[in-house]
Amino acid sequence: PNPPEIQKQKGAQKRAPVRKRVKEPIRPGTPEPVEGREHVSVQTELYLEEICDYVVEVDGECQTDEFLDRPPTPLFIPAKTGKDIATQIEEGELFDFDIEVKPILEVLIGKTVEQALLEVMEEEELAQLRAHQRAFIELRNAEFAELQRLEEQDRRIREEKERRRLEHLEKLRKQKETTEKIAARAFAKRYLADLIPSVFSNLYDSGFFYDPIERDIETEFLPWLMSEVEETLQKKVLGRTMLDSLIRAVVEKRLDAFSCQPVPGQTEAPAKEPRPPDAAPQVSGETAAADQLVTEKEETDQPVAEEQPSDPISSQLEESDQAGTQDLETE
Amino acid sequence: MAQPRISAYLPPDIDPTKAALAFGRRALPKLNEELQSAELLTQQRALMALCDLVHDPEKVYQAIEIGFLDNLKTLLGHPDNTIRQKTTEVLYLMSMHSVGRWGLIQNGVISALTGLLDDPVDICRKNTHQIFDMMAKLPEGAAGVLQAALIPPLVLKLQTELEEILELILDTLANCLRMEVSEALAAGAVGALKAKLTHPSAAIRSRAAQVLLEISSHPEGKLPVCDEEVIPVLVSLLEDTDPAVQASAAGALMFALVTPQGRSSAMAAEAIPPLLKLVAEETSRARLNAIKALTLLAELPEGRETLLAHTDTFRECLDDPREVVARAAQSAIRAIEWKP
Repeated sequence: PNPPEIQKQKGAQKRAPVRKRVKEPIRPGTPEPVEGREHVSVQTELYLEEICDYVVEVDGECQTDEFLDRPPTPLFIPAKTGKDIATQIEEGELFDFDIEVKPILEVLIGKTVEQALLEVMEEEELAQLRAHQRAFIELRNAEFAELQRLEEQDRRIREEKERRRLEHLEKLRKQKETTEKIAARAFAKRYLADLIPSVFSNLYDSGFFYDPIERDIETEFLPWLMSEVEETLQKKVLGRTMLDSLIRAVVEKRLDAFSCQPVPGQTEAPAKEPRPPDAAPQVSGETAAADQLVTEKEETDQPVAEEQPSDPISSQLEESDQAGTQDLETE
Repeated sequence: MAQPRISAYLPPDIDPTKAALAFGRRALPKLNEELQSAELLTQQRALMALCDLVHDPEKVYQAIEIGFLDNLKTLLGHPDNTIRQKTTEVLYLMSMHSVGRWGLIQNGVISALTGLLDDPVDICRKNTHQIFDMMAKLPEGAAGVLQAALIPPLVLKLQTELEEILELILDTLANCLRMEVSEALAAGAVGALKAKLTHPSAAIRSRAAQVLLEISSHPEGKLPVCDEEVIPVLVSLLEDTDPAVQASAAGALMFALVTPQGRSSAMAAEAIPPLLKLVAEETSRARLNAIKALTLLAELPEGRETLLAHTDTFRECLDDPREVVARAAQSAIRAIEWKP
């Protein structure tokens, strides 16, 4: 910034407030002049001053010279005051090096050694810890191994015991089974001992063992015999029946013949007639008296073994029957 | 304007890679804030400073109280390698102290570390496995590792990892499998370990035998060990040159021989002569384990016959200064001389 310009600016700044003041309305300070008088401003200072509106300005410039190097300070040797004195320090006079250096050395070496000791201690502590640990581990391992060995031994012994116990149980069980088997066998033997005889006797009783000839006779001969007997009897019965019918026819004829002449002697004749000791009329008389009994007789004419019911009316019949049967038997 | 730095030259003993530590108790909170800053360099410097501070257990305690672990967990997934490496280093140093271990368990840092198992940077992986190893030494830590389902990935890593990391993995597995074995068996640990038993490095062999010991100490672990014919390999390891390998192999046999199949396969592999040699050596660590293994073999009739001839070896063990060995020798003699 140019110095004259700055000065101009400063002047302008100074004038601005003056103008401001001029523009302001004059405040009534003093009263208005009396009639005929005038207020006039008057300088009352010792020296009168010409007052004008504008300030007289004069521009002035100034410039410093170029910087010159500062000349070297002239050698200033102050005036000598005092006296010249020389001195010389011999060895050992100021201080004794060996004594003085001791504390310094002590500190130096002490600190170094302390540091070194710390480090060595650290390591030694660790080494001790490790050695301790190692010893402990060895001990622990040894004890642990012993423990495991004993455990293993114990386990083996227990297993062995268990196995033997199981074997023993097995043995007992087998023994028991064998005795039971033997007992069962003996019992069964005894039970079945008389099985065969009883079986045979049962079979014998129920007729499984038979004499073939006897059986033969029984199964074939006897039925044939019985059928023959039956035939014979039937023939006899037939004969008798025929005879009966003949006699009946004859009697009826005679009855018819004699009914024309009802004579008491005739009626006796048929009554007498059945009385001849002929087997056949006897039989017919019997037939007439027991006409109703014919069917019974026929019915009761059965195989030999059966007995006929005894009839009190026909005791004669029975006798004749028995005679008949005796006849049959003699046949 | 006045600045705290007085001159343009830094004092000679400041490490420019580390953040400036505030005084006293303010150090850790300030580092906490710096860890959360957006600038990579600030975070790295803060981590470097933290690594140095964490050697002190009191600082570890204070850090855990303030809540450093949440920030560290977030940083575990940072893309920058240095940050991940330093974070894992800080966590490892924390886990060296008991306070740190408990803090890590309670804040669930183990599960946050599972993502780093496949990290491309070796050091990150190594630190991660070191953390797991330290945590597994604590029973709760081992439980934490098991819960984070780390066993199957660890078993898989057995085949692919570098040697020194392999040792760490085997140690971790040994401690975790002491608790529970089923997950490892499902992941095929026995086969993988059988391959490692013939590794050229003795440390790996002894550790692999140790893991097999832990597996076969569980009942369900004994069967796969017998099935996969690990016992002949273990018997051959009994004659190894390294005493640690012998001790671990004898220990693994000690547990695996409890089962009848184990015993028969051991008899078939002729385990008795090497075991007797181990028992005869006075100072071997394998003595105790060998005595126990022979006790188990003495329960077999043919084992008993063979061992009846060697009872004097056991009588020598009765004079061993360690009480455990003497007791083991006594039970061995009892088992040998037992008549059915």
